[in-house]
Amino acid sequence: MSTPAALAAFRNEPILELRRAPVRESLAEALRELDARLPLEVPAWVGGDRLRPGEGGFASTDPGAPGRVVADAARATEADAAAAVEAAERGFRDWSARPAAERAEVLRRAAQILRERRLELAALQLRECAKPWPEADGDVCEAIDFLEYYAAEAVALDEGRALVQVPGERNSMRYAPRGVAAVIAPWNFPLAIPCGMAAAALAAGNAAVLKPAEQSPGSAGALVEALHEAGVPRDALSLLPGYGEVGAALVRDPRVHVIAFTGSSAVGLEIVRASAETPDGQGHVKRVVAEMGGKNCVIVDGDADLDEVVPEVVHSAFGYAGQKCSAAARVLVHEAAADTLLERLAGAVSVLDVGQADRFATEVPPVIEREAQERVERYAAMGEPLARSERPLPGEGWFCAPTLLADLPDDSPVLSDEIFGPVLAVTRVRDVDEACDVIDALPFALTGGLFSRTPATVERAAARLPLGNLYVNRGITGAMVGRQPFGGNRRSGIGSKAGGPDYLLQFVEPRVVTENTMRHGIPVE
Amino acid sequence: MESQLQEVGRTIHAALPGKSRHPLRVIDQRAMELASQDAELRAALFRFVDVTPACRSLDDLARHLAGYLEEVDERPPPIEAAMRMSGTRPGRAALGAAAAAGVRHMAHRFIVGESPRAALRPIRHLWEHGAAVSLDLLGEATVTEAEADRYAARCMDALETLSEAAPSWPARPVLEADSLGPLPRVNVSVKVSALTPLLRPEAPEVGREDAARRMLPLLRRAKELGAHLHIDMESVDTVEATLGLVFELLDEPELRAGPSAGIVIQAYLRESPDQLEQVLDWAARTEREQPLVVRLVKGAYWDHEVVDARQHGWTPPVFEDKRDSDRNFEALTRRLVESWPLARPAIASHNLRSVAHAVTVAREQGREDRDIEFQVLRGLGDDLAAALADLDHRVRIYCPVGDLVAGMAYLVRRLLENTANESFLGEQQRGTPIEELLAAP
Repeated sequence: MSTPAALAAFRNEPILELRRAPVRESLAEALRELDARLPLEVPAWVGGDRLRPGEGGFASTDPGAPGRVVADAARATEADAAAAVEAAERGFRDWSARPAAERAEVLRRAAQILRERRLELAALQLRECAKPWPEADGDVCEAIDFLEYYAAEAVALDEGRALVQVPGERNSMRYAPRGVAAVIAPWNFPLAIPCGMAAAALAAGNAAVLKPAEQSPGSAGALVEALHEAGVPRDALSLLPGYGEVGAALVRDPRVHVIAFTGSSAVGLEIVRASAETPDGQGHVKRVVAEMGGKNCVIVDGDADLDEVVPEVVHSAFGYAGQKCSAAARVLVHEAAADTLLERLAGAVSVLDVGQADRFATEVPPVIEREAQERVERYAAMGEPLARSERPLPGEGWFCAPTLLADLPDDSPVLSDEIFGPVLAVTRVRDVDEACDVIDALPFALTGGLFSRTPATVERAAARLPLGNLYVNRGITGAMVGRQPFGGNRRSGIGSKAGGPDYLLQFVEPRVVTENTMRHGIPVE
Repeated sequence: MESQLQEVGRTIHAALPGKSRHPLRVIDQRAMELASQDAELRAALFRFVDVTPACRSLDDLARHLAGYLEEVDERPPPIEAAMRMSGTRPGRAALGAAAAAGVRHMAHRFIVGESPRAALRPIRHLWEHGAAVSLDLLGEATVTEAEADRYAARCMDALETLSEAAPSWPARPVLEADSLGPLPRVNVSVKVSALTPLLRPEAPEVGREDAARRMLPLLRRAKELGAHLHIDMESVDTVEATLGLVFELLDEPELRAGPSAGIVIQAYLRESPDQLEQVLDWAARTEREQPLVVRLVKGAYWDHEVVDARQHGWTPPVFEDKRDSDRNFEALTRRLVESWPLARPAIASHNLRSVAHAVTVAREQGREDRDIEFQVLRGLGDDLAAALADLDHRVRIYCPVGDLVAGMAYLVRRLLENTANESFLGEQQRGTPIEELLAAP
């Protein structure tokens, strides 16, 4: 298990000091180099077979310039999915037989490869997903963190757990990998999330088949390349760029043991339903790890320091155009602070810098695709905006003006649906208790925030709120591996915590061995 | 050099006024001594002072105080008494009133008035007693354009209000000229972060440009009024924008003839020697008529810089050993004095050793005493200012202006400084012998 030693050895990869001009210049240079190489070619890896993008391939494009192709990817089919699972069953036998420490070493090597390529990888997701520099760099660091953290955790987990021992009997509890893991990943953390889920599966000794989001095959391709290069056997890790049908085929496949999914609630719940099917011949029950949506609220108490609240809330709501599962969607503000907060928030939203992701000044980049832009506009139109970013939007790209709405009717969909875009709604409440009632009534329970300077209020809210991650007197995004194990409760997720000490348990099955050590009435130990 | 320094130090030390001169200050001193001995109590005190402006009633205030004190494990008797009072409504009203008065009293020690106009009387009083001031407008964080505009308007008002009053002040030759020429009576310090909501470390040019359009009218007005405008330095995140802004704006042809302006170098920064070279290079190139004033400070954001760096896994940009910082302060002092008349040195320190060092270096370099200015913070360096003024040194007191709401962040920082164990003032208050106070870092 997570021993102090494993934790002591872990350090988060430092993000770049973007406040230093030479660092910024090195990133701009990395982007120029990447641009000269575009479009990248992303193959499908099925076992050891490299399938090049042919006639049926697809492309990822720059959300800020949809005409620019970032990656040409092979489009995997359902038959490829079946072949990948078959290869994974083979790969599993060898990979799971290796000592945990040896697997951990491979993952650490992969971390080192990502470290050496970090500027290029940040540039890649800047182009492919319009992730601005600070967040693109943060994503690469998080991917490195997952590899290092799960490597250390897996070695600790391999030692098993202590059990009660009595004379004449020896009890041991160890953890064994489950088998083949299907990893179905989103585009919004295009390197970190697929990396985290795949690294956890691999560290624990499983084989993995990765189906990345169709919007970000390039980043996933770079990840799989690094893992293969580090020494993960090709049949223990396949890559299936493609669309929903490939993921669905993996979920249905009776040879898959674990499904690790991060994405929308609709798809997540469908996976939970489909994986419950246990046809004849399937010798196990599937385990689902699902991280889904949220409707994250920040409570602002009457005694909160608004100097802190405004920038933290604005960053939590509008950073990466609100496209983080942890992003702030609502503010529940104590009526005593409401007028001042609304005035200051409105002013702060109106000066948000909306622009292309490659500008260091950009705070709100374009959203990922046209469909997302239309969805955001639909919700933003449901109220009279208190503030919208006043700057002209770039002519090209899927841009949305950041929007602040307030005092919406209780039944407004803006208050309950996950919009996944730069829209923030403010609601007045009598006090923090009423705010807790509002959160309690939502089906989601992912992240949330509380700004209060009353110790008793903080304690009461922390005890009451069902959230997976509650942040007190700070922004609600930017969970760090090992420091803020991340994941939602209720309909936001099944309760696993990525980057935390419990996460690997989803990818293993516990085995207890009890041995009688008595021989002829004498304990032989 | 060292023996001269010791002698200068002893002379200044001997000129420090006795503690009995400020009977009211004893109350603060008690509270601060209590706080500096117990980390938990100190945390409770800071959290309370910090929340005071957000409290809506005396009852609310008392509840907050009790909430923070509850987290202190070992409570001295006066604190226990406060806890008991918080149990009843009338008790809370009394406790709240006492606590509010306490915070106001503490604030008045560090903040000279609620507005420039309200500050005129104490400023004149200081001037008459031989100390000039630099007025600093405290404010909430600037997160909107309207707030940036309001701050700029307050700065403008400060320039005008002071300029209107200053001609009636009596003549104080030490404060009004150095060997390079006359020095403005009116001196206002401004913060770049308050002049724009757009200041971000990864894009310094955006905040710089936005702040520049509000700074320019202030510089123009200061020129018309013959006032000095000093651009303060804040956390490392804003250094690049601030330096860039100063270099760019002050080089504007329309500002060549004035106003007198200044910048700050923070000696606790590892990069401060390079920054000083940048400033001196610029000063050598610029066609401005008046030399730039360079205020040398230790730096006031040490905890912030260290925590911020640690949380990100960076090497802290500040020296972590106080002695390194003190040594660097002396090295920068020397460089600055040697570069005269490229820049006018202003040594801002409460550390007797640093001050004595600066006096000694200046004399060794053949400078007149009036060619080097000493600066202190109101509420912290008043005694030192009085001593230096008595010895005919040029002294300026940095005087914050603002209400309690606006001043809270500043107040908390000052309290932190005043209760820090290794601060010079802390040592001085504990009666550390003069040999140690003047020992080389």
